[in-house]
Amino acid sequence: MRNETIVELVDVWKVYRMGRRRRIEVEALRGVDLRVPRGEFLAVMGPSGSGKSTLLHIMGCLDRPTEGKVLFEGRDVSRLRPVALARIRNRRVGFVFQSFNLSPTLTALGNVELPMVFAGVPRRKRLARARELLARVGLRERERHLPSELSGGEQQRVAIARALANSPDLLLADEPTGNLDTETGRGVLSLLSEANGEGVTVAVVTHDPEVAAAAARKLRIRDGRIVGDDDA
Amino acid sequence: MLDFLRIAVRGLLHRKKRSWLTIIGILIGITSVVALVSLGTSMQLAVRRSFEELGYDVMMILPGELGGGFGGPASLGASFEIDADALSEVEGVGEIGLMSYESLYVRAGENEGFLDTLGVSENIFSFFKVEMVAGRGFSPGERGAVVLGVEVAKELNLDVGDTLEIEDRPFAVVGIYSADSRLDEDAILIPLPDMQALLGTQGVSMVFVRAAPGYEVGKVATRLEEFLYESRGRRDLSVQTMEEVHEVVQRALGILGAFLGGIAGIALLVGGIGVMNTMYTAVLERTREIGVMKAVGARNSQIMLVFLLESGLMGLVGGAMGTGIGALLNFAAVTAAKAVLGARVLEYGISWWLVLGALGFSFLVGAFAGLLPARSAAKLDPVRALRYE
Repeated sequence: MRNETIVELVDVWKVYRMGRRRRIEVEALRGVDLRVPRGEFLAVMGPSGSGKSTLLHIMGCLDRPTEGKVLFEGRDVSRLRPVALARIRNRRVGFVFQSFNLSPTLTALGNVELPMVFAGVPRRKRLARARELLARVGLRERERHLPSELSGGEQQRVAIARALANSPDLLLADEPTGNLDTETGRGVLSLLSEANGEGVTVAVVTHDPEVAAAAARKLRIRDGRIVGDDDA
Repeated sequence: MLDFLRIAVRGLLHRKKRSWLTIIGILIGITSVVALVSLGTSMQLAVRRSFEELGYDVMMILPGELGGGFGGPASLGASFEIDADALSEVEGVGEIGLMSYESLYVRAGENEGFLDTLGVSENIFSFFKVEMVAGRGFSPGERGAVVLGVEVAKELNLDVGDTLEIEDRPFAVVGIYSADSRLDEDAILIPLPDMQALLGTQGVSMVFVRAAPGYEVGKVATRLEEFLYESRGRRDLSVQTMEEVHEVVQRALGILGAFLGGIAGIALLVGGIGVMNTMYTAVLERTREIGVMKAVGARNSQIMLVFLLESGLMGLVGGAMGTGIGALLNFAAVTAAKAVLGARVLEYGISWWLVLGALGFSFLVGAFAGLLPARSAAKLDPVRALRYE
């Protein structure tokens, strides 16, 4: 049976050392406890610098906590080696960023294929899946276009298709509508909701009230601590 | 692997201008390596062909002790007396050719001056497979005759039937030999007895001995050396097989080749540093992209592979073009040398191992130069890389 909690954080601290000789310590997260059940649509809100992105990165195994435990599908991943974390990110997690972050050298199709290349999916299967995903986000006709030839909204839709490539359990989006106008943002939001409707757990860092309204659970974070949680 | 190659090619094409400039760096390096190494090979092949034509069954008796290095006999060109008949009694000795060398005063009509003159036994023509353009070689016991190299004949404006004076004695031109012959085309050949009379000695400067069929050259050479020592009571003559001479010459050419290769290597090193520089810039420029690749699950080794392929490809493309240009240069140099200096100076020196070696080496230089940049790309912290502006 699959674990019904997809990711759980137990007293997670993240301290960055910055500046010359790394003497300045910045506490991005200060003792965060969080349990995200499978299938949830979670919005993370808070002022800039409050630790939202760090929280998202740690949930997605992109970063490791300085202290505390991270359980991904019940397994402690807080001390795993980079190669094992890369594997989890590749198979289980999809990331969507505010600035799209598509590879400028690859076409829309190539970008969607990328996670499958790293996963070692055979080319034929990969192309079929990438085309299916592009069709789903309404960009089947633009598969040969480079990111520089696409609008912001189109780029973000490609990014969502890429995040879904390896059928992840967890989709993490960091201000996915932050660089888009309201109308385009709605299109992106509906794609996220659609994925959530199909059973993918979605966590979105956002300032956008419309996005927050779509989420079933809202998390407020300030100075590295969770200060508000609908669920709590 | 093919997929990573595709990603690498995309990356290279994305910054076309810089990729090409970097490739040109490698190209110049590989061009010089291929051009200079093949030039060395060209010389070695030409030398080998010369020796092969003369035959490895030939030995030379020279005055002096032959040292180990490539200094050769200390008194090369010095005259010595030798009993050719006694020599031919030694077991395994076949044909014997005698040669005496001197620069003599020659006059032909308006032209006069010192020219290289060889006094030769009449069998030298067959011994060296001398090709005649006109006339003939010497007949047994013939005196007062001269055979000219084609160049000398042209310079002195002489033909068969004309006469010239050597040290004020008249000699009739009986033959002209071709520039393709084993003998220097600038030489003047006269019968050995005439030479000895002109010089007032019974000496020769060189004896050529061919091993009789079925005999091993090295063993005959040893026997000859023993015979010379016993009959003369001292080791004032040395016997040299063509193999030994060839070896000495090849060693000298090898050192020359290594030297040229070293110079070319420096050019290649500079090219490699160019690749390294470009790759470091690329890593910096694409930090965010690397962060994204990590976010979508690329392992460090996979990112490293992408960057290594990129730098290796630049090396390979530069190498392929450089090899082509280097081969063309060799072709041009050899063709020019054959036209200007005569047929025997150089041979085409491009071989498969050189081409494959140059290609493999250029890929390695590229990949090696990309190693450190690729490693720094692979080790980037994904979160930092994603934040990089």
